Amino acid sequence: MLTLDKLTRRFGDNIAVNAANLEIPDGQMVGIIGRSGAGKSTLLRLLNRLIDPSEGQILYGDTDIARLKGKELRAWRSDCAMIFQQFNLVGRLDVITNVLTGRLHDLPHWRSMAQVFTPRERAFAIQALDRLGMAHTALQRAETLSGGQQQRVAIARALAQEPRILLADEPIASLDPMNAKIVMDALRDINRQDGITVICNLHTLDTARQYCDRIIGMQDGRIVFDGTPDLLTTRMAREIYGAEADEAFNEAATSTAIPAGPARARELA
Amino acid sequence: MTDSLMMGGSAGASGGAPRDAVATFERHRAELRATKRVWNIVALGAFTICLGLSVWISQFYPDRLASGIPRIFEYFGTILPDLQWDVLFEGRTAEGRAVPGSLTFWYTDFRTYIGLLWETILMAITATLLGAGAAFLLCFPAAANLAPAGWVYWISRRFLEVCRGIPEILLALVFVFMIGIGPLAGIIAIAIHTAGALGKLFAEVNENASSRPVEGITAVGGTWAEKMAYGVVPQVAPNFFSYAMLRFEINVRASSIIGFVGAGGIGQELNRVISFYSDDRVLAVLILVVLMVTAIDLISERIRLGYIGRENFR
Repeated sequence: MLTLDKLTRRFGDNIAVNAANLEIPDGQMVGIIGRSGAGKSTLLRLLNRLIDPSEGQILYGDTDIARLKGKELRAWRSDCAMIFQQFNLVGRLDVITNVLTGRLHDLPHWRSMAQVFTPRERAFAIQALDRLGMAHTALQRAETLSGGQQQRVAIARALAQEPRILLADEPIASLDPMNAKIVMDALRDINRQDGITVICNLHTLDTARQYCDRIIGMQDGRIVFDGTPDLLTTRMAREIYGAEADEAFNEAATSTAIPAGPARARELA
Repeated sequence: MTDSLMMGGSAGASGGAPRDAVATFERHRAELRATKRVWNIVALGAFTICLGLSVWISQFYPDRLASGIPRIFEYFGTILPDLQWDVLFEGRTAEGRAVPGSLTFWYTDFRTYIGLLWETILMAITATLLGAGAAFLLCFPAAANLAPAGWVYWISRRFLEVCRGIPEILLALVFVFMIGIGPLAGIIAIAIHTAGALGKLFAEVNENASSRPVEGITAVGGTWAEKMAYGVVPQVAPNFFSYAMLRFEINVRASSIIGFVGAGGIGQELNRVISFYSDDRVLAVLILVVLMVTAIDLISERIRLGYIGRENFR
């Protein structure tokens, strides 16, 4: 169970996340929606402590994540994997090494510095890649892959961490609809099969409706909606998105819904 | 283009709003240009004063230069070898003496020279490796975007500044006193200067590296060292290599004069022939030094360009 208690983050005078209270049970798939600048990214970054909170608590079990430092903080980050909009892979390293960086936390220092990985670790990474249909690219440089492929490698890196929580910050915002569908399917698959909590920032409404058990709406740093997809009325959604409502509702532009038949990851790779 | 034409061409020029926007922009631009003009005049004035001062202090006057030029040729006259065409390629005589006017006579100490040139190159290689190693370790804390804390950044930067602030020749002099005459003093002196100069260049390369991979490694729970090794080094390695090769070229030149203070290499011999003989032997050594430096520059440039070119095509 992940509990946020009055979690607040200020940037100067601007309050990006304003006293957020949330309880997320293990194994849920949660979508956070809202227009750009609503504080969705900041909230996720607070969760794995890429940003430090100004006030409030983040509780996981009995530990206050907001107070962790040094070794314990790195252990938490390794437990709480993150997927980024721009993938954040190391472009000049090959794909397999990128995935293996997911294991860095468990490596003894000299092995991580010398980039020495055991055959078991390599096998683990290849299995993670294979699950995303990307094993054949293992020896290519990450920067030679397309956006959708890079995002799948990034998910494999997250899987290599064997996380308890998977955070995804706009994972499909830079992808075309077909790749977006593959990535969202993969996230849901990880949530269902491995029981990993997935918390996902999404810009488009229909994706959130289609994939998530629970939707959280944010507006100007506050949580203004929290419930199952069917509780989210069109009026409520319009309010959350404000001026961006038409763009968010326009399924043709940024949706994961593909009209002709189901796409399979292996065929598209 | 007339004003009315511009207005007519702009989309949605109906009503007063766009015209107001143009007027505001033009006013803003005029203000900006006025302040810029003031600063340009101030900068030009400061430059002129500095130039005047430096000419006056260094006594850089055309008539002094003109009267000095003939003396340059005078000196060249004394170090030119007295070669004679008919015996130019004569070897040593039966008694082992070289014939005056022959190349063998001019380059009597050829073997010594070559040995010292080789020593010079080895000095440059060793100093570059040591210096680049130190620079590599220091360039991460000395990059503003990567330093783990403000004070670490400050200390590393100042340390690098001290390293490259002291001239090599001065460092060499100190080390010659400390550890005695010989190439070791020169190597340490050049390595320290290299660490300072390369460390700054490396740090600047680091500051231009993308933060995304670093953020990715942070998010998997990597330590600071792991962030550097996995997130930064792959991005910057080709640039580091290129700068290190460039520094090697500079160090070959540096190690060929550092011998003037007794710190090894061909400079020692050059100093000896200049102070003791000042005859054709000076030119003999100078020619070899110029040939060596040029050859090293050409080879190093080839390697550098080949390496970068290959990187780009991947």
